[in-house]
Amino acid sequence: MTVRVALIGNPNVGKSVIFNNLVPGARQHVGNWPGKTVEKKTGKYRYNGEEYELVDLPGCYSLTARAVDELVSRTYILEEKPDVVVNIVDASNVERNLYLTLLLMELEANIVVALNQMDVAKSKGYTIRTEKLASRLGIPVVETIATQKVGMEMLKKAIENAAKSPKPAFLTYPSDIEDLIEKLVTILSVDASLVTHHPARWLAIKLIERDKEVLEMIQGTALDSKIEEVFA
Amino acid sequence: METKLSDLRPGNTATVTKVTGSGAVKRRIADMGITPGARIEMIRNAPLGDPIEFKVRGYLLTLRRSEAEDVMVSTEVQM
Amino acid sequence: MKRVKAVLGDDPEIAFAEKRYNMIGEILEECLTKTETGMTFSDKLDKVLLNKYLGIPIFLILVWALFQFSIEASGVFMAIIETALVTVGEFFGTLLAGNEMAASLVQDGIFGGFAFILPFLAPIFLMFLGIAWLEDSGYFARAAFVMDKLLRKLGVHGKTFIPMMLGFGCNIPAIMACRSIEGEKDRMISILSNPYISCGARLPVYVLFAAAFFPGFEGSVIFSMYILGLAVAIFTAWLLRKTFFKGEPEPFIMELPIYRVPTLRASVLHMWERGVVFLKKAGTWLFLGAIILWFMSAFGPAGYLGIDPDVSVSYTGILGGLIQPIFAPLGFDWRLGAALIFAFLAKEIAVESLGIIFAIEGDIAIGGALAGVFSPATAAAFMIFILLYIPCVAAVGTIKSETNSWKWTLFSVVYSIIIAYVIAAIAFALLSAIGLGVIGGA
Repeated sequence: MTVRVALIGNPNVGKSVIFNNLVPGARQHVGNWPGKTVEKKTGKYRYNGEEYELVDLPGCYSLTARAVDELVSRTYILEEKPDVVVNIVDASNVERNLYLTLLLMELEANIVVALNQMDVAKSKGYTIRTEKLASRLGIPVVETIATQKVGMEMLKKAIENAAKSPKPAFLTYPSDIEDLIEKLVTILSVDASLVTHHPARWLAIKLIERDKEVLEMIQGTALDSKIEEVFA
Repeated sequence: METKLSDLRPGNTATVTKVTGSGAVKRRIADMGITPGARIEMIRNAPLGDPIEFKVRGYLLTLRRSEAEDVMVSTEVQM
Repeated sequence: MKRVKAVLGDDPEIAFAEKRYNMIGEILEECLTKTETGMTFSDKLDKVLLNKYLGIPIFLILVWALFQFSIEASGVFMAIIETALVTVGEFFGTLLAGNEMAASLVQDGIFGGFAFILPFLAPIFLMFLGIAWLEDSGYFARAAFVMDKLLRKLGVHGKTFIPMMLGFGCNIPAIMACRSIEGEKDRMISILSNPYISCGARLPVYVLFAAAFFPGFEGSVIFSMYILGLAVAIFTAWLLRKTFFKGEPEPFIMELPIYRVPTLRASVLHMWERGVVFLKKAGTWLFLGAIILWFMSAFGPAGYLGIDPDVSVSYTGILGGLIQPIFAPLGFDWRLGAALIFAFLAKEIAVESLGIIFAIEGDIAIGGALAGVFSPATAAAFMIFILLYIPCVAAVGTIKSETNSWKWTLFSVVYSIIIAYVIAAIAFALLSAIGLGVIGGA
């Protein structure tokens, strides 16, 4: 069986270099996302006898319903449910890059973080305790320098491990927000089809953020008025 | 003292207090790290005076003057 | 009951973003140590490249250097391609010596036109290599920052500058690159104004005509074609902003990445991704076009026309004659009319078709043959028409797929023909007024 892997990250983090390192140019397939003028790059590689299909998601800073690129990425993760989501994080710009990581954790994806451009981070005077970061996030973190092909073997290994023993990410917010999330999750759980297709906590968070797409999902359902009470 | 982000001069550092403006732009600005509490430094104006370059969350970000006007900052020295 | 407002205030969306960054802050407190390194190399470079007084001159110098690089460095590659073609041509020439028609197909059809164009692949690819290098280095984001205010005055977003630069190579990847522009209006304006940027495929047309009609002034003539294309692109953007796409350009919330020295591998890869689009177009239309053109020019309703015939009675001649009356005021004959029809497949085919027509008629040197038939004013009008009218069929296809609208694709085609005709007519009138309307009158 083919393991489906999605590659995601901010722009300028070396995502395409990692893609090229994993899948040689000749085996890449470039097309469009259905109905969108957003490029879709896919390709396959083999590792330890297993076949992996890599999908390059558009580079993005956030996952709102407002920008086409962001919507394409989040819809893919929610609906296609890739086995592993590889999040490329620029180590030299780690604070802003982790913002996307948190958004991916909200989606409860099975994430592997590739901490890329470690060389640039070092030259900027950054020392990152990678193991500590992995344990704080609760997801595997691999150090890479894509331009020098450093860490690619480790990355493949981490993807293999993550595919074999999937562990959806989980993000706990401060208790006052957790109370709100919990309340909304209770209301949402009544609609079985909604919460089997989307993580309930993610729906709750998007409702709090007044996300256009999620609001439309709720609109007209029996949940609508109950949810509005929480916002009144 | 509270002022607009667009009023900072090169080298000035301030703390973001409020992000206003319209929905999509406001959210984009916040996603990029300009949220209440963030430290932000004005680096320089573009040669023609607009847009403006800032340093926030350890990286460089540009905003047009009109967008920077929608961000309020405090120039009080932080304790 | 706890409400959202009580916890997150009036603006829960922004408050949530703040919470996320606070959590990141807490995590990094434990995982990240920053050592002060002083000003980084990247910061120092920005002090110069984004300097209030130096920023714009440096930008202009870099753009000029990009052109110089693609022209100067391509010379050797062009020579290699030319030599290879001559060798192949001679080989086929001896091979087919016995068969008159086959020899004509190869020598007139393929080598009469196709061979003139092929070397021009070199400047296009080198242009893309230079652009890839500047883009990967992090400078292009700065260039958008430097140019935004000026471009915004003209109605386009600062980021449009990148597709504009790419357009000087080939408009197809350039139109595709407009995807990086957020905002529907900004993107549409960038797409619809891009075809007027003079791509590398038009260069062989300029080179041929400038050398034949304006000897000694080739450089200035070609340069003014590029400037005219740029001016029409900017005018079109401005017009669209004032009419169909009213409103302010999208925000300029952009990251300035750290400078880095791009690896050659990455830049070549980047160049190839864009260049291959051009190669596909060229491979399809130029070769096929050459064969079709030869058939249409060597045959007529009366059959094969034989050696050195009067091509005006061939299918090509008849076709060119059909639209010739429209262009008669500009001095175009059936040959230029036919060239315009075929050049819709690809702009270089203008050269290819003229080459084939003259070759079949027995003239080997196209340039000299042209100068004997047209006036410099007509030549200028033709160059302008080639520059501005309908981009090639592949670019029209790209406009359709990127705008997702037949309406705007049709608009682009019709508008381009009108603007091409008007400007070509003005140029023809002006040049004729100063005495360049006479054949052999340069």
